[in-house]
Amino acid sequence: MSTVVEPTLTDVQMVVEEVWNSFLGGEDPLVVGAPGEVPTGWSAAVTVTGAWEGMVSVELPAGTAEEVCRRMLGVEETHDEDVADAVGELVNMIGGNVKSLMPGPSVLSLPVVAAGRVARSSDTTEVCRIDAWWAGAPLQVCVHVHRGH
Amino acid sequence: MHALIIDDSRAMRSILRRIVTDLGFETLEAGHGQEALDHLEAGRVPDLCLIDWNMPVMDGYTFVTKVRENPDWRDVTLMMVTTESEHGQIVRALAAGAHEYVIKPFTPDAIVDKLELLGLVQGGVPA
Repeated sequence: MSTVVEPTLTDVQMVVEEVWNSFLGGEDPLVVGAPGEVPTGWSAAVTVTGAWEGMVSVELPAGTAEEVCRRMLGVEETHDEDVADAVGELVNMIGGNVKSLMPGPSVLSLPVVAAGRVARSSDTTEVCRIDAWWAGAPLQVCVHVHRGH
Repeated sequence: MHALIIDDSRAMRSILRRIVTDLGFETLEAGHGQEALDHLEAGRVPDLCLIDWNMPVMDGYTFVTKVRENPDWRDVTLMMVTTESEHGQIVRALAAGAHEYVIKPFTPDAIVDKLELLGLVQGGVPA
């Protein structure tokens, strides 16, 4: 019987906070552990395949995703392709660091970004969820693993 | 001094550009390894390449091996800047010819410290 290996909530929270503090911190700290309904806006996911198989995703309201874009790109005006790029890089960094916590070797996919919610394989189970607030809005980071892996 | 920033994310290129521009580097950018190789083959040979690993078309590891195959480019300093943090991957990149390795996320100070270690920056300006 195989055992599902999953990252701890504490580890994922540390990863998310490190990414946020490095590129988006400053005057708006990330407040973790404050659940809120995330309005449909932007989402992004990366998958990990190999010794550990799973998916890491981020969901943000549209205004928050645009603020992420403004701060990462250092611009005032945002365009959808830039918002997608910034949100994709965010999940790439979070996913890459979650991957490093898990057994290897494994391969990280390029990010998939969607206006709305990214599709998730039906044979996965959520094992970790970080609810947080940033810049006055809720956001969510989730880790799913393949059942039976 | 010239830096070539190679990353498929425009946001990440922008972050790195701000850091190295503040240090006095002139910058070029590429969205993947092949585009970066095109710059070098066209004679735009930088002093420093900042290289992501996971990119479409040509990944950063392949780019490093291609650069190291050409003796004309032996003076180019190669620094990986990537989320790939498995020990085996870091060893692979360094063995292929990368000089330094920075794991995302990073602070500007982490980049400056590495560039000082490499002798490309001294006291906050290009050496």
